[in-house]
Amino acid sequence: MSYMELFKVPEPTPELSRKSSIVGVGESDFHADYQAARANTPGYEGHTSESLAVIAFERALADSGLKREDIDGLGVNYLYGGPSAEETAAMLGLKPKHIMGQSGGICAGPIPFACNEIAQGKADTVVLIFSAATRSIGRSFGGQGVTTGGPSSYYYHHPWGWSSQAAHWALIWQHYMATYNATEADLASVAIQMRTNAMRNPNAIMQAPLTVEKYLGSRYVVKPLHLFDLCLVNDGAVCLIIRKADMARDLPHVPVDIGGWGHAAVKSGKLHTLVRERLRPQFQESGRQALAMAGIPLSEVHHFEGYDASTIHLINHIEGHGFVEPGAGLEFCKSGEMDVNGSLPVNMAGGILSGSYMHGWNHVAEIVRQLRHEAGPRQVKDVHTSMFSLAQTDQVHPVIFMRRETS
Amino acid sequence: MTQTRPNRTLGPGHDDFWAGCAAGELRIQHCNACDKHSWPVVGDCEHCGSTDLRWQVMSGKGKVVSWCCFVQDYYRGVMSVPYDTIMVELAEGPIFISNPADFAYDDITFEMPVEVTFIDAEDAAGAFKLPVFRKA
Repeated sequence: MSYMELFKVPEPTPELSRKSSIVGVGESDFHADYQAARANTPGYEGHTSESLAVIAFERALADSGLKREDIDGLGVNYLYGGPSAEETAAMLGLKPKHIMGQSGGICAGPIPFACNEIAQGKADTVVLIFSAATRSIGRSFGGQGVTTGGPSSYYYHHPWGWSSQAAHWALIWQHYMATYNATEADLASVAIQMRTNAMRNPNAIMQAPLTVEKYLGSRYVVKPLHLFDLCLVNDGAVCLIIRKADMARDLPHVPVDIGGWGHAAVKSGKLHTLVRERLRPQFQESGRQALAMAGIPLSEVHHFEGYDASTIHLINHIEGHGFVEPGAGLEFCKSGEMDVNGSLPVNMAGGILSGSYMHGWNHVAEIVRQLRHEAGPRQVKDVHTSMFSLAQTDQVHPVIFMRRETS
Repeated sequence: MTQTRPNRTLGPGHDDFWAGCAAGELRIQHCNACDKHSWPVVGDCEHCGSTDLRWQVMSGKGKVVSWCCFVQDYYRGVMSVPYDTIMVELAEGPIFISNPADFAYDDITFEMPVEVTFIDAEDAAGAFKLPVFRKA
């Protein structure tokens, strides 16, 4: 499968809107596992992708109120390698009649694919598992080890010493500062908001308060980006159970319907589009697709979960999708609009900056809790529509979720 | 002084680029079908997919549109940190990632004019000329 094919999604059409629902969610113990790994506690052996997957699956199954025999579809996403879907099924005691072929790992493709395959009658209830022992395997994110297989910007500029995802975000931030007269202290507000959100989520990895002073005093990774501008690296797993919408009634929780999705990719001039336009054309196009499929305007989105690989990239999402004008994102964050009581609460579980690096899957898990209205101290009041948006350096994939109104 | 650098991407097409550098020329692929440039090196035009590409020598002039300083040692000592990288928009349009030759992070202003120069470098494949930029 080519790099670009990996991220394709089924055609977003209104006929597929709200035909599938998330009925179960499970996560591993991000916080406790991270603490144990850091502390190197005697007897702590760390996790494997398999052991994490089992934990997340068992929790999702219990959460859904379904039985193993209700599960007839399976998709597995072991980002850095793991057993096949068939081996996973055997490990989990499942006998799915349908195995999903798409396994990109990033949590935007698998959800639309599951919806499409449910609509095609291939399965009624699909278990999606994401699992990555990212920290335990010592995964690194830049340098000479990055070779062909991804976008050329990840490896081509080695002779100039330019590599890593962080370097992409650093160039964006430097350009943003020059364009909008922003300062490092302005960007600190995004890291601080994510930390504030994480502190309301017991399973978030980072729980210590963050201040502007602490942010500015932290080391640079790729200047002008500080340590707190870049996402975590940790082990973990998330499991989602997606069921045909008309079979999602009479379960313990309110179903969370998948309302729409979209996808747009940079086709040429990648670094120009990423740094100088901050993927705005792709945010706009993919968002338009997802909203049209769901049949709602952007103003109906009352909670947003965006892929916060870096603080500035989260701002790219907020501005790119049109929640605020270009250049207004940092002021929006500083004035508290992204907080739980703001006009657009963002990344309520702490995202991947302070929550857990689950490549977007934890963002979706939080959407499920929010739309069920079971998020406790970080619950967005009366929320009924949430938008998830995953953007890498050259692709944007939003997915819209809606709370099922019970009559 | 010859600088050791992380490895280049070599092979068909890429070798033509580095041969240009050896000759003191910054060559970029230009598409005869859509009149646009492609960089990094491609097999087909990144804009329109045409195979009708030819190497065009750039003026070497451009402006710095972004920049960053590597503090994290991603290359495990191959380059000593910290070091600066710049994103240059060439006069002809393409974006080119490079290094500053005679200036540093704190000297840079947005859209500062620069021009290409070539320095001696080596990687696992041998000695080569690396295009970097000086103040214009």
